[in-house]
Amino acid sequence: MAKLLDKQHYKCALGAMQTVQAIERALPILHSGPGCAQKLSESTGSSGYFSPNIFPCTSINEKDVVFGGVKKLESTIENALKVIDADLYVVLTGCIPEIVGDDSGEVVSRFEDSEKPVLYAPTAGFKGNNYKGHEQVINAIIEQYLKKSDKKQKGLVNIWADVPYQDLFWLGNLRELEKLVSELGLTPNTIFGYRRGIENIKKIPEAEFNLLVSPWVGLTNVKKMERKFGTPYLHYKTLPIGATETSKFLREVGKFAGVDEAKVEAVVKEHEDYYYYLIERYADLFLENRVINKQFSVVSDAHYALGITKFLANDFGLVPAKQFVVDDTPKNVQEEIAEEFKKLNYGLEAEVAFETDGYKIHNEIRKHDYHGYPLVLGSYYEKEVTEELKGNFLNIAYPVQDKVIIDDSYVGYTGGIRLIENIYTVAVSRFN
Amino acid sequence: MSYKIAIGSSDKINVDLKFGEVKSFLIYEVDEEVKLIENRKVNDEENNLADIACGSAENSNKAGCGGAGGGCGAGSGCGGAGNGCKGPEEVISKVSLIYDCRCVVCKKIGFQAQKQFEKKAISVFDVDCTVAEALKKITFYYNKIDNHKSFRKE
Repeated sequence: MAKLLDKQHYKCALGAMQTVQAIERALPILHSGPGCAQKLSESTGSSGYFSPNIFPCTSINEKDVVFGGVKKLESTIENALKVIDADLYVVLTGCIPEIVGDDSGEVVSRFEDSEKPVLYAPTAGFKGNNYKGHEQVINAIIEQYLKKSDKKQKGLVNIWADVPYQDLFWLGNLRELEKLVSELGLTPNTIFGYRRGIENIKKIPEAEFNLLVSPWVGLTNVKKMERKFGTPYLHYKTLPIGATETSKFLREVGKFAGVDEAKVEAVVKEHEDYYYYLIERYADLFLENRVINKQFSVVSDAHYALGITKFLANDFGLVPAKQFVVDDTPKNVQEEIAEEFKKLNYGLEAEVAFETDGYKIHNEIRKHDYHGYPLVLGSYYEKEVTEELKGNFLNIAYPVQDKVIIDDSYVGYTGGIRLIENIYTVAVSRFN
Repeated sequence: MSYKIAIGSSDKINVDLKFGEVKSFLIYEVDEEVKLIENRKVNDEENNLADIACGSAENSNKAGCGGAGGGCGAGSGCGGAGNGCKGPEEVISKVSLIYDCRCVVCKKIGFQAQKQFEKKAISVFDVDCTVAEALKKITFYYNKIDNHKSFRKE
């Protein structure tokens, strides 16, 4: 039977056009109805090269449903190659062409010999959400563009983390992860954002290993690269926020890459000293327990739910209430991720629900006794329910409406400080 | 329920006529089976009359003609050079000839005509294929949507 899904926190797989957009000089070509792209577009920053959210699109209509849209697709690709100066073209399909059976892959393969690479990623909405779509785009790059390399560059690490634009901190987060990794003496390689692009994509097969910082998104990608290029991967499930998790992260990456332990410890110490200096200066604020809430809930994708829960419990001694993972996490990894929520300091365990329906989540938040007013870190959807409970609210996940993030980040030691700043800004503004 | 399809074809084999070129539409009726039921002539005389009426629209303000004003009368751009588009009036009589059809199939159909068909919720298919292929694909499509069936190829 058909079910209603209220306030879902993601988009359809075609939303992966944002993943393409995040690669400098890469252009999505959409084989979809004209409304799809319009619905998916947002003003959360453009590529910095192409006009924001204006992409070649076949704009298929009834005629193409009846007679097939492959001709239109071919001419759209052909003309995009002629008039738009890009480094990489990625054809993304919406639901309609996939339902009526257009063989888009075949059409794209006709452009194999073109000067610039043209790739194809099936991103019909019924195949999943934009987290899946993101994986499809990366898979398309691995499968259709990259070749195995005999040359391996010592110390080169591909870093894969959050889904660009879906996570509005993506740019800052990636840059911060790069910074941390390079402090260990390794060379980070990422493909998203300023001055990365096609040149960095070409370097992917030469990496010594892949570093995946995500509970589940991207796992199929790094596994694929292991098979195709023989690149091993380190799957670090928790987004490192704050000192406890970031130090753990640095030690684990250092161990995996064979970095001298003393060197890792020196990096950790340097950062921790400054981090705790900052914390100590504001200790009186943090110890004033009237200011902050006793319990908190995170409503976000697994990425942030896990990272923030660990940070607030381990670094901040707050008690986790129920956490909500809203990214439609695949069933086969849910248990594994739920286990991660139990690995908190002080013998704490967080209960986690994998729930996509905002209505049900809000009801659970209303029912729970937070021993005072709640602290909710979530999407804009959770603002109203938190206000209703007179709680403190911070918008950290999609959809984001009351916040502008340009290159801010919640990752690492500095990211932890940023998050504290933001949470306490909300908390103190309550009294002032 | 039965419906009708109008096709522009000179030889009853290929969809080879542009909408403007059609002198008579092949009207197919689709019920249990697909039947050619009529060869509907386009009344040229009426067309000419409409043109004349349109020409004097400034004075007469005749319904269906005078309305578009700028689009029709104003020499430049739209109403100008001989073969160009003369605004909606030019096509309305031809379009109204097949108001009883569910869709129209021609090799090419101009923007104005498409708009007029759209207003009457008549689907426009400008395709280059055989009549048989067009009929097959269109009836397959309508059969699916009318019966709420999946498009998945069986």
